[in-house]
Amino acid sequence: MRFRSICFLILLQIALLVLMTHTPLSILGYALLPSTVILESRADFESMANDLNKRGLKAHAPAAIVGRSGVKHEFAFALIPDAGKAQVVVDTELSVKEVDEMKVLKFYVKVYDVNPKKAILCVTPKLGARASTLAKEYGITVLEDDVPRNLISMAEKVVNETLGAASK
Amino acid sequence: MKGAKHRIFPLHYDPSKKLFHIVVKLSDAPGSYSSVLDILRTRVNLIGTSTYTLSDGTAIFSGFSEALSARETGEGIRKLILGSKAAIEATVHEGSQGLLLDTFHDGFAVDSEAYVLLRRGDLAHMFDRVSRILGSGGDALLYEEGRAMSQWNVESLAKKFGIERFREKGSILYRMMSTQGWGDVEGRLGPGKGEFTMVVSDCSECSGEGTPRKECSFMRGYFAGSAYAIHGREFDVKETKCGFKGGKACEFRLTPQ
Repeated sequence: MRFRSICFLILLQIALLVLMTHTPLSILGYALLPSTVILESRADFESMANDLNKRGLKAHAPAAIVGRSGVKHEFAFALIPDAGKAQVVVDTELSVKEVDEMKVLKFYVKVYDVNPKKAILCVTPKLGARASTLAKEYGITVLEDDVPRNLISMAEKVVNETLGAASK
Repeated sequence: MKGAKHRIFPLHYDPSKKLFHIVVKLSDAPGSYSSVLDILRTRVNLIGTSTYTLSDGTAIFSGFSEALSARETGEGIRKLILGSKAAIEATVHEGSQGLLLDTFHDGFAVDSEAYVLLRRGDLAHMFDRVSRILGSGGDALLYEEGRAMSQWNVESLAKKFGIERFREKGSILYRMMSTQGWGDVEGRLGPGKGEFTMVVSDCSECSGEGTPRKECSFMRGYFAGSAYAIHGREFDVKETKCGFKGGKACEFRLTPQ
C-alpha cells in the first residue's frame, strides 16, 4: 500500500514538473511540489528509522525532542539512544530555489537547544552562499541534492558513519 | 487606593489643544516648586508633571500642559516663570499640530541607571516575529534571552542591595517587575515542597493580538534566570496557565531541580 502511495507521489511529482511551463498551472506546480516531496521524504525517513530500530538503535521519524529550554522541537529524524538525549538530528529543507540562511538559522536554534552530537540538514536543491557559510560556522553537516529522495541514503550514510565513530 | 499604570510624558497628542512643554530649573529654597505651580495655574492646565533633584541641590520641574487661552505663547509663559525668584532657568517648547514632544530629556534614568522605554506592543511584536521566523527554536531562543536578562539583572541589583534581601523577600523582585511593566506579578510558595508559583496578570508577553504563539517563553526564562540568581540553583519552570491559551493570567510553577 505504501509502495503504491510513493509511486503515486512520484508520478504526481513528474506530472507537476512537466506542467511547470509558463502557464497558470506552473504556479500550482510550484505550490504543490514542496509538500509532495516532503510527504515522500517523510515516508523514507520512517523506513530509515525502522531499519535502524531493527538493529537495536532508537531512531524516530518524525521525532519530537524537548530541549534544554523546555520547548518541544520536531525533527524529520533523530537517533535518541539515551532517554531524551539526541545523538543525531536530521531536518529537511526542500525548495524549488536556493535555500536561504534563515532556514539554517531556524535549524540551528533547535539544534542549539537539543545539543546533539551530529546535526544534519538535507537540502534540495542547495544552500545559498551565505547560508552555506553560516551552516559551516554552526558545525551543521549539510547534504545537498536536486533529487530529494537521494538525500535519504546520503543521510543514512552519515548517520552510520557517526554511529561507527561513536562505537570506536 | 488601587494601583495604576505610571503615566509618563515623552509625548502627548491632542489636536484640539495648544500644548506646551515647560521645563524649569528650580532653586533649592523651600517652596520653589509650589511657587512655580502657583504662577502657572493661571495660564495653563498641567496634564503631566515630574520633578527631580540634581546633584547640585537644585531641581528640575518638567510639565506637559494645555494653554487656557488660544493666544498663549511659549515666550509669554517663559517670561512669567522667570519673574519668580524660584526659577533659575526656564525653557518652554510648543507642540505642533497637536503633537507635543519632550525635547529636553535625552533618555530615562532609574536610580542613575539608563533605561530604554518601549511600547509593550512593539515587544510582543518582536517576540512574535522571532517565533514566526524560527519556529519552536524561536521560543527556545526567547527562553534563553529571558533567562540571561533576568540573571544578569538580579546579579547586578544584588551587588547594590545585597542578595540576602532578595532571598528573604522575593516580593522585591515581583514589585520591580510590576513597576517596570512586565505585568502585575505576584508570587507564593508551593504547591510542592521547595516550589514557587508565580502569577502574572496583564502579562506583557501575551498582550499582543493575532499571534500563533502558545506560551510565554521569555517570561518562563525570566523566572528561571532570576530564581537561579537568587537561590543559586537550577529551577525547572513550567507555564501552567497562559493568556495565549485564553487564561486570565499566566501562571508559572518553579520546581527545584
